[in-house]
Amino acid sequence: MINFLFLVTLLIYLAASIFQTLSLAISNRSEAVIIRPTIERIAFWGTSIGFAFLSLFITLWWLTQGHFPMTHWTDSTAFFAWAITLIYLIIVRLTQLRTLGSFVMPVAFIAILISYSFATHTAALPEPLQNYWLLAHTSLIFLGYAAFIAAFGFGLMYLIAERKIRQKTDTLFDNLLPSLGVSDELGYRCTILGVILLTMGVIVGSLWTQYIRDVPWRWLDAKVISTLMTWFIYVVQIGLRQLWGWHGRRAAYAAILGFVAVLCTYVGVDLFLDSMHTYR
Amino acid sequence: MNQIVSIGTSHHVAPIEFREKLAFSEAQLTESLQQLRESYQIHEAVILSTCNRVEVYAVVNSVRTADAAAKMLVEFLSHYHRIGVGSLKKWTYLHHNLETIQHLFRVTTSLDSMVVGESQILGQVKTAYDTSREAGGGGAILNRLFTKAFSVGKRIRSETTIATGAVSISYAAVELAKKIFNTLEGKTVAILGAGEMSELTAKHLVSNGVSNVIVANRTYERAVKVAEKFNGTPIAYDSDLDFLIDADIVISSTDAPDYLIKRQPLANIMRKRRHRYMFLIDIAVPRDIDPDVSKIDHAFLYNIDDLEAVVASNLKDRQQEANRAEQIVTEEAKRFYAQLQIFQVNPTIKALHQQFREIADTELQACFYKATLSDQQEAAVASMTQAIVKKLLHHPMQNLRCAVNDGDADHGQYIQALQELFALDVNDDHSDV
Repeated sequence: MINFLFLVTLLIYLAASIFQTLSLAISNRSEAVIIRPTIERIAFWGTSIGFAFLSLFITLWWLTQGHFPMTHWTDSTAFFAWAITLIYLIIVRLTQLRTLGSFVMPVAFIAILISYSFATHTAALPEPLQNYWLLAHTSLIFLGYAAFIAAFGFGLMYLIAERKIRQKTDTLFDNLLPSLGVSDELGYRCTILGVILLTMGVIVGSLWTQYIRDVPWRWLDAKVISTLMTWFIYVVQIGLRQLWGWHGRRAAYAAILGFVAVLCTYVGVDLFLDSMHTYR
Repeated sequence: MNQIVSIGTSHHVAPIEFREKLAFSEAQLTESLQQLRESYQIHEAVILSTCNRVEVYAVVNSVRTADAAAKMLVEFLSHYHRIGVGSLKKWTYLHHNLETIQHLFRVTTSLDSMVVGESQILGQVKTAYDTSREAGGGGAILNRLFTKAFSVGKRIRSETTIATGAVSISYAAVELAKKIFNTLEGKTVAILGAGEMSELTAKHLVSNGVSNVIVANRTYERAVKVAEKFNGTPIAYDSDLDFLIDADIVISSTDAPDYLIKRQPLANIMRKRRHRYMFLIDIAVPRDIDPDVSKIDHAFLYNIDDLEAVVASNLKDRQQEANRAEQIVTEEAKRFYAQLQIFQVNPTIKALHQQFREIADTELQACFYKATLSDQQEAAVASMTQAIVKKLLHHPMQNLRCAVNDGDADHGQYIQALQELFALDVNDDHSDV
C-alpha cells in the first residue's frame, strides 16, 4: 500500500516537472497564448497534489518507524523533495511567480526518484539519535538546502533573461521570466533564508552533540566540514553583495556554485568519504 | 424582414479630405439619428465617427432587399452632408448582413485599424454605441450585435497576441526597461542632447513610473528648456559624465560626431554606482555610445537599429497573429448571423403555433359543448386535435428552419409569406429583449 502510494507520488512529480518545463518551452509559439494557461494550471495543481501525497507519505513513514524518518537515502531524499516543494509553494504564494517551478521541480523529481529506487532499504537508527533533536537538526538543514535550490532557480532565470536581453532576441517579450531585478532580488532573499535556516540547523546539531553519550563524536567529520564550506560560500556571497554591491550576474553564478556545493555535501560526501552523517 | 446594413469610409479607402466631410460631431449624432428615424423609418442605428473612419450601422425593416436598405443609407449621407452620390460611391464601402457583422467584428478587434492590435478602437466603438443608444438608436438586433462584437474583441485579446509587443521605438524602450529593472518606480532617466524621439521615450518612461529626469545639454539654456517639460534637472556638460552615476536609464541623441560615452569611463561610473543596472539607449546617428559598452556587466545597450529590429519583429508577430484573429472573427460572425436568423424567425414560428393552437382550442370547446362525451372520449379527441396541429406544422417548420440554417436567402420571403398568408401579428421590433 505504502509502496503504491509512493509510486503514485513519483508519477505525479514526474508529470508536474514535465508540465512545468513544458510551460517554459512553448513560450515562443503563437498558439502558446491559448495552451499555456492550461499547462501552467496543470503543472501547478500537479505540484500541489504531489506535495499533499508526499506529506501524507512522510507522515505514514514517521508513524511506522516511530521517529522522524531520516535514516537512509530513501527517507532523506523524500524529505528533501518535500522541502523543495514547500519552499516553492511559499514563493508562489508570496510572488505569483510560477515559472520557478520549471527549474526546481525537476530537482525535486530526481530526489524522489532516488528515494524510490532505494525504497526497499531501511536502516536502523541508533537508539540515542531517535529524538526531536533529529527532527530539528535535519529539517532545518534540508529547508535551508531547499531555499538554496530556489536561489539556484532564480540564478538560472536571471542568466537566461540576461542572455535574451543581450542577444536582443525575438522572444524577448514573452512574459514568463521576471525582470532581471526581480530574479536577482528574490534569489538574494532565498539565499538569506537558506543561510538563516542552515545556521540554525548547524547550531542545533552542535548543541545536540552535548547530549549524545553513546555515539562517538568527532568534529573533523567530512559532512560537518563540507557543510561549513557550503555555509561559507553563501555567507561570503552575502557579504560581497553588502560591501561591494556584488549582485546580478555574479550573484547568479554564486547561486550555481552554491548549488554544486550543496550537492557535494549532500551526495558527494556520502558516496566518497567517510562520515558519521552517512545514510547507509 | 430585417436587413443589417452598414456604410462607411476609412483610411483604407478614402483620403482625409473626404473623411472629414463625412465626420459627425457629437451634437450631429443625435440629430442625424432622429432624421434616420423620421425620414427613413430606420429605428436602429449606430454611428461611429473617429479620425480614421466614419461608419453607419443600421437595421432596416421597411424594405425587402439589402440593396434597397443600403441605398437608403447612401441617400441619407448624401443628403445630410451634402455630398454627391457619385463621390460617396467612390469613397465608401457598403456591407450587407453577414458582411456587416464581420466588418464590425474586424473593426472592434482592431484588425481593420492602421496599427493592428491598437487598443483605442474598442473604446471608440463602445462610446459610439452608448451615444447612439442614448440618442434612441438602440434596438434588439444592434444591441445583440454590438454586445457580441465587444465579447469577440475580448476573446481576440485573450486568445491571440495581436495587442502585445511594442510597435513603436519609444514603447519598445519602455518594455525593455521593464525587463531589466524590478520596478521603474524611483528610477532616474538621463537625456543627453535633445530630440523628439528621446523626449517621447522619456515621457513614456515617466508615465510608467520613472520619477527623476536629468536633462543634459552642451548649452545650459537648452537643457533648462527641455527639463521644464519634465520637471527635471538641467545639466550643462562638457566632457564630465559623472552625472550618469545617478542615471538608471540613459537616452542619448546628440549630434556629436564621435562616441560620447566610451567603455572605460562608463566602467568607472558603473563602479561608482555599485554596478546597479544601467540601460543605455542610443538613438543618435552617428552613434553616441561606444558599442563596447555592452561588455560591461549590468550595462545594457540598445541602439536605434536594435530597437527598430524589436519593433519589426513585434509587427511581424502581430501580423501572424492577425491571421489567426481573422479566422476567429469569420467563425464568430457566421455563428452570430445564424443565431440572429433564428432569433428573427422565432416570433413568426411562435405566432403561427399560437394561432393553430387557438383555433384548435376554440373548436374543441365548441365540440365539447355540443356533444356530450365521457372524460375518456374528451381526452382522446383533445389529443387527436393536438396531433393534427403538430403534424400540419411539422413540414413547414422543418423546411423553414433548414432554410435559415443553410443561410438560404429565401427564408426572408418565407417569413414574409407566412405572415401575410396567415395574417400573423408578429411583433417585429423584439421589444421583449
